[in-house]
Amino acid sequence: MTPPVNTAVEAGSAPLPEAPPPRLSSSGGGRWRGLAATVAISILPWIVAVALWELAWSQKWMTTSLFPPPSVFLAYVIENDFRVGFARDAMPIPVAIVASAYRVLAGLALGFVGAIATGILISLSRTASLIIFPFVRGLAPIAPIAWIPLGIVLFGIGNGTAVFVVFTGIYFILTINTVVAVQAVDKRMIKTARSFGASPRQIWAWVIFPAVLPQVFTMLRLNFFAAWMAVLAAEMVGLKNGLGMIIMLGREMFNPNLILVGLLMVGITGYLVDAFLVFVQRRVLWWQSENVK
Amino acid sequence: MKSLVCRGVSKVWQSSHGLETEALRRIDLTIASGEFVAILGPSGSGKSTLLELIAGLEERTTGQVLLDGVAVTEPIPNVVMVFQEHSLFPWLTVADNVAFGLKMKGVPAAERAARVKAVLDRVRLTKFAKHYPHQLSGGMKQRVALARALVESPDLILMDEPFAALDFQTRVLMQRFLLDVWQEFKATIVFVTHHIDEAVLLADRVLVMSASPGRIIDEVTVDLPRPRSATTPGFNEYRVRLTEQLEKQVSSIDEAA
Repeated sequence: MTPPVNTAVEAGSAPLPEAPPPRLSSSGGGRWRGLAATVAISILPWIVAVALWELAWSQKWMTTSLFPPPSVFLAYVIENDFRVGFARDAMPIPVAIVASAYRVLAGLALGFVGAIATGILISLSRTASLIIFPFVRGLAPIAPIAWIPLGIVLFGIGNGTAVFVVFTGIYFILTINTVVAVQAVDKRMIKTARSFGASPRQIWAWVIFPAVLPQVFTMLRLNFFAAWMAVLAAEMVGLKNGLGMIIMLGREMFNPNLILVGLLMVGITGYLVDAFLVFVQRRVLWWQSENVK
Repeated sequence: MKSLVCRGVSKVWQSSHGLETEALRRIDLTIASGEFVAILGPSGSGKSTLLELIAGLEERTTGQVLLDGVAVTEPIPNVVMVFQEHSLFPWLTVADNVAFGLKMKGVPAAERAARVKAVLDRVRLTKFAKHYPHQLSGGMKQRVALARALVESPDLILMDEPFAALDFQTRVLMQRFLLDVWQEFKATIVFVTHHIDEAVLLADRVLVMSASPGRIIDEVTVDLPRPRSATTPGFNEYRVRLTEQLEKQVSSIDEAA
């Protein structure tokens, strides 16, 4: 044992921060100023667009009254106590947001878990692969929206249909993705595990499963928007609540304020759910970058 | 472990299209306990395949691999493999990576923790026990890989070009570190490399392999005092002899191609 060797190894290695990943570290004022500047720059286009919109409205450049600016439709929402609809059926907007977000998240969660389980089953068993895989590949190209009529027939008007639509919209694609990801797991990692005495079952649980998780999750995020659209479409054609219903209600009542409020809420909610998925991807399933070459 | 013997070991790869590739042809070798043997050869000489056959990770086509007289057909507990890179599990901390093999074998948590701590102290990575591989430098990752092997108290360590991806300085330090560890743990090491200096620097004995199919074409006992360096008197003669052997191999590949 020669201590100098080790200190030198330390010195020879790349400088390493004491604090774990750089993204977790914060260096005080400079960082916040940088953040403020970033936020300011990203908000700027919105301010300009809204200002032009308000200007066009107040100067009567638009001959139609069907495209009210935020000052008008937001005032409408406040006047109505954040509720939309007729007296007895009126629904608070937050309830609509929660309803839509719940449907899409429930469908995504079921689809994700189901797809990983099916994908692993297909990879494990040749028989399962022969039976299930062609079926999955045949159903994968069907757009989530196309499942709506079948969902309504099967589950009626309600949450079941929405969850079904999101589930079918992502399940088949993610299953294929899981199968591909399993094949792409670095063989050296598997050999290492075997040489350390891991049984086939342990290799699946401790090596292959964690290796494919982040990749399939990335695919989930990419398919989230299609699923989100499908939920809105389902709400438009049948379900009794949710953000899609607010937009359709606005159309039926010839109330452009409602349509625009609905659009705004769809945008914000979709953004927040996507931000949540990114958060999970970065903080919980962060090892992807190491795996994908 | 007392001895590792390969007798007439061959390996033929069969592709799904029915094409056969002969990777190894009739390998005979005997390695004694505590020996440090380097296997030197050009790429495509089946060095890694030979190592995987010894580790019980691949099935041989003919011949026998005997560890203390017992045929190796599957991975065995006291033989561990250290790969070049990408073999640490990125989702596990340094400590969990090192504990992996013990956990798979059902070693109780308390004993696991104690053994991991001891070996991390030895490779000077205690401070980094909670770090993840992507937060470490190349040299540190390789020390984790070595720690993961040492924690098993192995009799035989198989190393597949473990330092090939490291820069010169880190590589030299890792080589010294490996020799320290080898002398301390009294393990047997089979070390695959394509780097002539590395083989002469580290090994008691160098086996030279030919390119496809892999055969052992020369065996050189390195009779130099330790610690060695490239400036040790006599070092150059070994280097010249091995370089000639390898160059011959390269020319024969060139003619074949």
